[in-house]
Amino acid sequence: MTAIRTSGVASSRPGSSRPSRVRSSRSGEVVLRVLAFVVLAVAAVAIVAPFLWVFRGAVSPTDAELYKLPPGLPTSPTFGNFGKVFEQVPFAQFALNSIIVATSITLLQLITSSTAGYAFARLKFRGKGAAFTIVIGALMIPLQVTIVPLFLIMTNLGLTNTLWSLILPPAFSAFGIFLMRQHFLSLPRELEEAARIDGAGHLRMFFQVMLPLSGPALATLAILTFTYWWNDLFVPLVMISSVNQETLPVGLVLLAGRYSTGSLGTIAAGITMAIIPVLIVFVIAQRWIVQSIASSGLKI
Amino acid sequence: MSLPSARGTGGGVLSGATPGGERHMIRRRRGDGLAAAGFLAPSGVGFLLFVLAPTIGVVLLSFFDWNLLSPPTFVGGANFAQLFQDHHLLAVYGSTTFMAVAILAINVVVGLLLAVLLEIRMPRWIRAFFRLSFLFPFVVSSSAVALIWRFLLDKDFGLVNYWLGFLGIPHINWLGTTQWAPIAIILVNSWKTIGFSILIYIAGLQGIPNEVREAAIVDGANAWTRFWRITFPLLSPTVFFLLVINTINAFQVFAEPRVLTQGGPGDSSRTIVEYIYDTAFQGFDIGYASTVGLTLVLLLVVLTLIQFRLSRRWTFYE
Amino acid sequence: MNHSTKRVAAVLLAAGLAVAGLSACSSSAPSKDSKTLDIAYWNYGQGAVDNNTKLKAGFEKANPGTTITLTPIAGAGWGEYVANLATLIASGKHPDIAFMASEGVKFLDQNNLLLPINSYLKSDAEAKKIQADIAPGLLKAFSSGNDIASLPNSFNDFVMYYNTDIFKAAGIPAPTGDWTWDQFEAIAKQLTTPDRYGYAWTGTEIAPGVLPWMANQGGNLVSSDVCKPTANSAPVVKTYTFLEGLIKQGISPAPPASNDLISQFENGKIAMFGAGRYVIPSMLGAGFKSFDITRYPTGSTYQTTLGAAGYPILKSSKNPDLAWDFQKYAASAAVQDAVIGTPTAPFDSVPTLRSTADKTVAAGIPPANTKLYYDAVDNYKVLAPFPAPAKYTQFEAAVLQDSQLIFGGNDTVQQGLDQLQKDLEPIVTCN
Repeated sequence: MTAIRTSGVASSRPGSSRPSRVRSSRSGEVVLRVLAFVVLAVAAVAIVAPFLWVFRGAVSPTDAELYKLPPGLPTSPTFGNFGKVFEQVPFAQFALNSIIVATSITLLQLITSSTAGYAFARLKFRGKGAAFTIVIGALMIPLQVTIVPLFLIMTNLGLTNTLWSLILPPAFSAFGIFLMRQHFLSLPRELEEAARIDGAGHLRMFFQVMLPLSGPALATLAILTFTYWWNDLFVPLVMISSVNQETLPVGLVLLAGRYSTGSLGTIAAGITMAIIPVLIVFVIAQRWIVQSIASSGLKI
Repeated sequence: MSLPSARGTGGGVLSGATPGGERHMIRRRRGDGLAAAGFLAPSGVGFLLFVLAPTIGVVLLSFFDWNLLSPPTFVGGANFAQLFQDHHLLAVYGSTTFMAVAILAINVVVGLLLAVLLEIRMPRWIRAFFRLSFLFPFVVSSSAVALIWRFLLDKDFGLVNYWLGFLGIPHINWLGTTQWAPIAIILVNSWKTIGFSILIYIAGLQGIPNEVREAAIVDGANAWTRFWRITFPLLSPTVFFLLVINTINAFQVFAEPRVLTQGGPGDSSRTIVEYIYDTAFQGFDIGYASTVGLTLVLLLVVLTLIQFRLSRRWTFYE
Repeated sequence: MNHSTKRVAAVLLAAGLAVAGLSACSSSAPSKDSKTLDIAYWNYGQGAVDNNTKLKAGFEKANPGTTITLTPIAGAGWGEYVANLATLIASGKHPDIAFMASEGVKFLDQNNLLLPINSYLKSDAEAKKIQADIAPGLLKAFSSGNDIASLPNSFNDFVMYYNTDIFKAAGIPAPTGDWTWDQFEAIAKQLTTPDRYGYAWTGTEIAPGVLPWMANQGGNLVSSDVCKPTANSAPVVKTYTFLEGLIKQGISPAPPASNDLISQFENGKIAMFGAGRYVIPSMLGAGFKSFDITRYPTGSTYQTTLGAAGYPILKSSKNPDLAWDFQKYAASAAVQDAVIGTPTAPFDSVPTLRSTADKTVAAGIPPANTKLYYDAVDNYKVLAPFPAPAKYTQFEAAVLQDSQLIFGGNDTVQQGLDQLQKDLEPIVTCN
C-alpha cells in the first residue's frame, strides 16, 4: 500500500486485545474457500455468458444459427456481418463522433474537477462548506430533469444538433470534484509546506507538486468519465436530430432497424465493434482505479 | 440546503476542512480566497450554465404550458394540481421505487459479498479473471446491453429460459408481463452496474491495512467474526458511499426500460426519468414534465438527507 | 392566456437563461435566396439516404441553379422521427419540406406547420396527371380532414405474410385472401407446433398489430375527425377478444412478440405475420424467398389499412412554389420508376403510381402475389382516417402498453380497453 494514506486505522482496532488462540478449524476454512470459489465462478460465467453469445452472433453466417439450442460454436465463422454494419448505418461516423465526444468530455472534466477538487481540499476560503454542499446537492439533480432547459440553452447558443451540445453539458461534474477532492486530501501536508517554503504560489503548487502525484486519481476519473459518456444514450436522443451527428449508442438502436427489421448477426457485429475499444481501455486501466480509490478513500 | 454533519467536529463532513490545518490556514485566508476563485472558475462556469440555470429553468417551466412549437402560456399551479390527478405518476413512482430498491440492494449487498469472496486465497490470474469478468458489462452501453438482453430474454427462443428449463422452470415471459418485466429490468441493470460496486469495494478492502487483519487472524477470530468486527466497520465509509451513489443512479435508470420494455406492460417497468422523457418529448408537455422532474429532485434530496442522518449510527470513520 | 402574462412568461424564461449570462439571441437564420430548399427526412437506414440523395441530385439537375440541403433525422420508428423533427423545429430550424407519412399528418396540421396542397392541385395540369395515376384511397389516407397533406410517393399497406414451405409441408392450400376469421384461426392452429407459432401478433407497431383486424370489423381507435378515442367500442372489443383467443390457445405468442419477428419468420418459427412491404428488402436480401402475401381475413367487412408517405410543404417555407415542384418531382413517374429495384434489392415500400406498381410486378420481384399490394388499395375500401392524432408517439405508446396488458393476461379485454380509452382521452383531442 502507498505510504501517503492517512493513518489512524490501527488505533481503532476492535477486538485486538484478546489473547491469541490456536487456529481451530483448518478444514472448515478449506470448505469455505471452495464454496466461495464456486460462487465466484458461477457469478463470473453468468455475467460473461451474454457476451459470448454476442461474439458468436457477430461471426455467424446466418441468423438461423442463433436459434439453435443448445448454442454451439458457429459452423463457418464469417466477418461478413461487420461489413453489413457499415452498409446499413454510417457506423464509422458514429464511432468518430463518439470518440470526439467522450474524449472532449473527459479532458474537460479533468480540468474542471481537478482544479475545483484542489480548491476544496487545499484552500481555505469563505463559504467553502456551503459551496461543497452545493456540489453534493448537484449530484441529486438528474440530467434527465434539466434536459429541456439545457436544450433551450444549447438552442440559444446555436449548438443543438452539433457535437458541442453533447460535450458542454457534462463540463461540471459533482462526482469528479468529489473524487479529486478526496485524492488531494490524501496527499501529505508536508509536501505543501516544503513547496511553500520554496516560495511556490498556488499555480505552481497545483501544477508542479499536486498534479504529478495525481496520476492514478486522474486516470480513474478519466476512465469512469470516458466510459460513462461513451455509452450515454439520453443526451444525444434529445440534442441530436441528424443522423450524421449521432453517437454509437443511438447508432446501435438504429441498427436494430425500422420495425425491428435488423438482422441479429448485424446487430451483434455492431455491438461487438462498439464494445471492444472501451473494453481494452478498461482492462488496462482498472488497476489504477482500485489503487487510487484505495489510497484516498471515499468519505462523503 | 445543508447536510447534517456525520462527524460532529471539524466543520462538518461536507466542508472538507481538516482540523489540523485550520489554524495555519486562517492566516492565509485572503490570498486563498482569490486563488480559490480562480481554481473554482472552470467548474463554476459549468455549474452556472449547465446545472443552476437549467434548474431555475425547470422551476420556471413548471408554471407553464408549452409544447415546444407554439409560445408557452402561464398556467400558475395547474401542473402541480395535475400531479395529484395523474394516476400514472403514482404507478410509475411505485415501479421506480421497487426497481431502485432492488438494484440498490443487489449492488450494495451482493457486490459486497462478491468483493469479499475475491479476497480468498487464489492464483493471481484467476483473481484477475474474476475481477475482469465482473467489470465486463460496466463498459458496455446500456443500449447495447438492452439489445442483447432483448434476445436472451425472449420467452420462446431465448437462452435464459432455455437454461432455466434444465432446472425444471417453465418458460417465463420476462418482458411481457407486469410481474416479470420489472424483475428483468432489475436483473439487467444490476448485471451492468454491479461491476462498478465490486470495484469500489475492492478498493475499499485494499485500503484496510493488512496488519489489522493479520492481527485478528492471529487472535484466532473466525472469518465471520473477522468480517463483522473488523472488515465491515473499516469498510463502512465505502458502503455508505455506494449507498448514496447507487441510490442516485438507481432512480435514474433510463435506457434499459426504454429499449427492453418501453416501460411496459402498463407502467410496470417504467422509471420516473423515462416518464419525464416521454411526457416531454413524446407528449410534448414540457411544463408538466418539468413539474414531475421537480418531484424527483425533491425525493432524491430527502432520501440523501435521511441516509446522511442514519449513517451517523453505523458508519465508522477513522 | 392574455398577452401580458405571455410577456411575463417570456421575461421569466429569459431571466432564467440570463442567470447563465446568456443573451437570448436566436439562432442565426441564413439569408435564403429564392433557389434553395431545406429538406428534412427520416433516415431509417442506408436505403433512405440513397433515395433522398438521388432525389436531390435529380431535382437539382432538372432545375439548374437550385440547391437542396438534406437534413437526415434519426428515429427508430415514426414516433421517434416525429419527436426529433419537433425538437429540430423547436431549436429554430425551419425546413421547407419534411418527409412525412400518414402517422404525422395531424401533428403537422394541428401544430400549424402544414401547407395543404389543395389549391396547388386545382390549378396544376402536371399534378393532375400524376394524381390520375394514384389510387384515390392513397390521398385520403394522407389528408387531415379535407386538407391534402402531400402527393404521396410511396405507401405501405398491411397484408398477411405466410411461409409457403410450411403451408406445403402441412398440406394446406395457399390462402386466396377470401377467408374468414374462423378459417384463419383454424389454419393458424393447424400450423402451430411446439417449435412454431401459426401467427404472430406484432407488438411494436399498431398498424400491422391491431389496426387491420379492427378495420375489418368496421372499427377504428379514433372518431372520424380524430378528435376522440373510440378504444372501447364494439369492433375494437371484438378484435381484441379474437387476438387474445389466439394467444390463449398458444397459436400466437404472448407479447412482446416481435423483437426479431422477421428473423423468426425466415427461420420457420412463425408461419404467418402481418406487415407492409417494408419487410421485403431484409427478407430478399437474406436470400429468403419461400413466402407469399394475401389479404387479412375478412370480418364483418373488409378494409385495407395503409399509410402513405411523401414530402409535405411546411408553412414556414420561404419557397413554397419551389417546394411544390419538388413534391411533384418526388411523386413523378421518372422518379418512382427509377427506384423499383431488383428481385434481391427491391424498393422498401409500394410506389403510389399504378403504372410503376405494374412495372414492379413485371420486374418479377417476389413475392408471387406482389400485385396485391396495389390491388388492395384499388379494389377495396381504405381505412380512413388513419388513426394518428397530433401526439402520435404518445398515442401509439399508450395503445401498445395497454394492449400488452390485455394480451399478457394482466387485464381482461374489457378492463384493458376501458383503461385504454381513459388513457387516450387526454391524448386524442382537437383543442
